[in-house]
Amino acid sequence: MRYLYALLLCASFVAPVYAKQPAYTVRSTEIKQQPFSDAATVATLSEKASVNILSRQGGWVRITSESGNGWVKMLSLRSDNTAAKQGDTGLQSLLNVGRSGSSGITVATGVRGLSEEDLKNAHPNPRELEKLQNYAVSKAKAEKFARDAKLKTQLLDYLPLDGKS
Amino acid sequence: MFIRALLFSGLCLLFSFPAHAFDFDLQKMLSIAKKTQQATKTIDEPEEIEIGNGIAANLLGASSLLDDSRAQQYVNQVGRWLSLQTERPDLPWKFGILESTDINAFSIPGGTIFITHGLLQKLNNESELAGVLAHEIVHVLRKHHLAALQKGARMDIASDLAGEALKNKGDPAVLDKAIKAGTEVYARGLDKNDEFEADRMGIVIATRAGYDPYGLPAVLQMLEASNAQDSSLALMFKTHPAPRERLSLLDKIMSDGFDAYTAPAQTDKRFNSEVSQRK
Repeated sequence: MRYLYALLLCASFVAPVYAKQPAYTVRSTEIKQQPFSDAATVATLSEKASVNILSRQGGWVRITSESGNGWVKMLSLRSDNTAAKQGDTGLQSLLNVGRSGSSGITVATGVRGLSEEDLKNAHPNPRELEKLQNYAVSKAKAEKFARDAKLKTQLLDYLPLDGKS
Repeated sequence: MFIRALLFSGLCLLFSFPAHAFDFDLQKMLSIAKKTQQATKTIDEPEEIEIGNGIAANLLGASSLLDDSRAQQYVNQVGRWLSLQTERPDLPWKFGILESTDINAFSIPGGTIFITHGLLQKLNNESELAGVLAHEIVHVLRKHHLAALQKGARMDIASDLAGEALKNKGDPAVLDKAIKAGTEVYARGLDKNDEFEADRMGIVIATRAGYDPYGLPAVLQMLEASNAQDSSLALMFKTHPAPRERLSLLDKIMSDGFDAYTAPAQTDKRFNSEVSQRK
């Protein structure tokens, strides 16, 4: 059992971002060979078809399904959380340890303090506020941070409520 | 008929008073009218920052900051960069990771944003972090919490807030009341439409900053897949519309044009070294 645990832990570090997240289509959707609209179509999924999400790239997610595997538009899918509702299987819990560093145990014993009641009864903590102020960064530092990662600004207006941009 | 007669006699009585007494009454009435009118106006920026600091101190009383200055600096840099793409770049923007394992994020008037360690650990890259922070930034830009505070506060507090009581670090009792009323907004939550607006504008701010526009939708999809009964999500789910509803709205407005924007690979590397590998 201990070996299995160690093996799973190692595997999860190289595993894709999603550990097979179940989802379903909200409309008829084409599965593409590549994450682009003009890529070749592998198959067409009907509405409410079940898929498993493996990873995401921009607005596209890589999926497996009975109809075929490939890329579909992320917003054509909604997550199926019936599995989560039934509680994690032992296997999923193990995978989660490696993936996020927080197991169910950590959550149960961790610091909460942000329930509705906690917020209503909170007393001010000026020392922490001072710490927070010390962490703040200047405009110049933020601009350098963006340049360091080659982040480029884009000109884009806010979106109207109903229409496409 | 009787009322009209009463009114008339009242008027007669009024005019029979000495002139100075009448002036006094009129001034008082005018001042009340002015205050009521001001109650619909917004609180000015120094007051907003002052109230915000009080609320931030309260939230920090409920959960301390995560003791990891490197991660705190990282989140501040992402957040400050995002703030520069908005119409309020000069606010004293501050970003903090709360040590709480709850999954949530908070926006406080005047430019303070909190993300819980619980939520940060669930994120996969810098674009997802940017999506969450940009959503919270919009609440500050649009003064959603100030409006909720004024709407939910008792009439006397609301009128004090709009009046002169807070000017130049004025009445501390009024400030205390405002901060208390302001903190309660976080237990109650904002209007649904404020949340939708924060999503709609948030994706644009993240895109302007050079991030992948789908960071926020990806986080919403993660939340949608989570167990809604989990206590770490209780307050977030209580105070926000269902992730499914939020995704449907983004689905309607995000055209294929958004596919053209991608985040540079360096941001992924950075997220891994500053967050993922330090969990």
